[in-house]
Amino acid sequence: MISVEGLERRFGPLTAVHDLSFEVPEGTIYGLLGPNGAGKTTTVRILAGLIAPSAGTVHVAGLALGPDNAAIRALTGILTESPGLHDRLTARQNLAYYGRLYGLTDASLREAVSRYLEVVGMTDAADRKVGGFSKGMRQRVAIARALLHEPRVIYLDEPTSGLDPEAAKSIRDLIAGLRDAGRSIILCTHNLDEAERVSDRIGVLNGSLLAEGTPDELRRRARPAATRVELDGGPLAPAEIAQAVAELPFVRHASVTGASLWVELAEPARDTPELVSALVHRGARVMAVSEEVATLEQVYLELVGEEHRAD
Amino acid sequence: MRIDLVLTVFGKEWREISSNRLLLGAVAAPAIIFAAIPTAIVAFIQINDLDMSQLGQIESMLSAFPGLPPKLAAQGFIVTNFMAYFLLIPAMVPIAIASQSVIGERQARSLEPQLATPVSVSELLAGKVLAAALPAVLATWIVWVAYGLINAALADPRLLRMVFSPQWIVAMASLVPLICVLSVLLGVIVSSRVGDPRTAQQFGAFVVLPIIAIAVAQFMGGQATFTMNQVLMGDLIVIGLVGALLALGSWAFDREEILTRLG
Repeated sequence: MISVEGLERRFGPLTAVHDLSFEVPEGTIYGLLGPNGAGKTTTVRILAGLIAPSAGTVHVAGLALGPDNAAIRALTGILTESPGLHDRLTARQNLAYYGRLYGLTDASLREAVSRYLEVVGMTDAADRKVGGFSKGMRQRVAIARALLHEPRVIYLDEPTSGLDPEAAKSIRDLIAGLRDAGRSIILCTHNLDEAERVSDRIGVLNGSLLAEGTPDELRRRARPAATRVELDGGPLAPAEIAQAVAELPFVRHASVTGASLWVELAEPARDTPELVSALVHRGARVMAVSEEVATLEQVYLELVGEEHRAD
Repeated sequence: MRIDLVLTVFGKEWREISSNRLLLGAVAAPAIIFAAIPTAIVAFIQINDLDMSQLGQIESMLSAFPGLPPKLAAQGFIVTNFMAYFLLIPAMVPIAIASQSVIGERQARSLEPQLATPVSVSELLAGKVLAAALPAVLATWIVWVAYGLINAALADPRLLRMVFSPQWIVAMASLVPLICVLSVLLGVIVSSRVGDPRTAQQFGAFVVLPIIAIAVAQFMGGQATFTMNQVLMGDLIVIGLVGALLALGSWAFDREEILTRLG
């Protein structure tokens, strides 16, 4: 649905986005992570046909960015970083205005406005001026605005910003529902937990793409999974057990922290039973075995931290 | 250009303007003041039987109204001479509305979502220009018509022909809308540089001061009102200025430039 190839954008001497390539298939949520100034907003603005790339090509639903910008905008919904509502208009008037700009008319417009006000839980406040709304209420109206015309491609910049946990969950559920309905979604966020929960694929951006994959792939790619074995006594001291385990052919590294033995296996799924068998054979009393994988936060911080160190 | 989208933008802007009482006051106040002052003078002359010695400086200017009794000639001079100030309404009002609109959108960051829709930049701008200019054009026309009718009713029906003279019909139909466009463009360009609508409105002096200078020069020169040639020359000058501002603000027709400068 979205295909980005060698995208670059320069602002004078500053290169905001460099050599960016990725694909977002239909029915996929692509999380775009990165620190402030990483180029996320610039990337979304380019994909939405708001600003032109300095180099590279973008195709959205088979349409080429540049000649087909108007058509691309018609099938795109965008939640900008700031809700950007018109304070002197009511929530309903705000949505009706954008609905008309997207080509909705008469009954279809009224129906879409009412439906999305309900979807974001704003029906009761529909006829109040948004100037008096809280940050969360404004955000919900802005989300409704992005979805009003049933776009096939949706760009969401910090969609749950300013929302209470309950509202944030309902928005995450809504986003997942949109994905299930076949929409392609790019989600820009600093909320790593949210990105991990809803994204099918994640790209870590800092000018260029530092890493990309499913949340699971990213976690494993950044740091191999470690198998944690909790021991409860036995004839050998933990340090001796670690030394013995390290000599096994499928063990890459072994260490001890308190009563826990940390083992890096070549292939955890295949090697864990062998490890447990070897430990038991040496008289160790195994209480529990678990696989410890790096969190997305750790992966992100390592990737962005490496980038800073490289600079 | 898709008229329905222009009207959609215009409708939204109009709704916002009409809900802003302060802005509506800024539209109505100058229009009423510029019409009320000469009307009060005409009424004063009508009520009081002034002799020629009391007409002061304008006595020498009554020769522009041959065949009319001095009292009516004096009223005619006042009525027509003050009409130059009507041109201040299209100069002052649109820049106030345009700067309020553009800077308001900048502060609310509401331009980006609009630019992300299929609306073209020219459609978006046309809707905004129309919304900023129309109140001023309508206010000027309404005040002009009311001014003619009230003064004719107060003093003499012959004042109607002076107010609704061919050169003023042309001025109202061409010069007033052109000055509005000039004022809106100035408002948009200035608003890209300053962050406060009041500061932007101060730049309206670039349009207002020349009009005041022309009105004062006209009075000092003993000319009752503009000639047709002067109106047409005014049209050409304003068209030239509009062209210059369009060149200066050509960025305003580019989606990316608007986003960068105003978004």
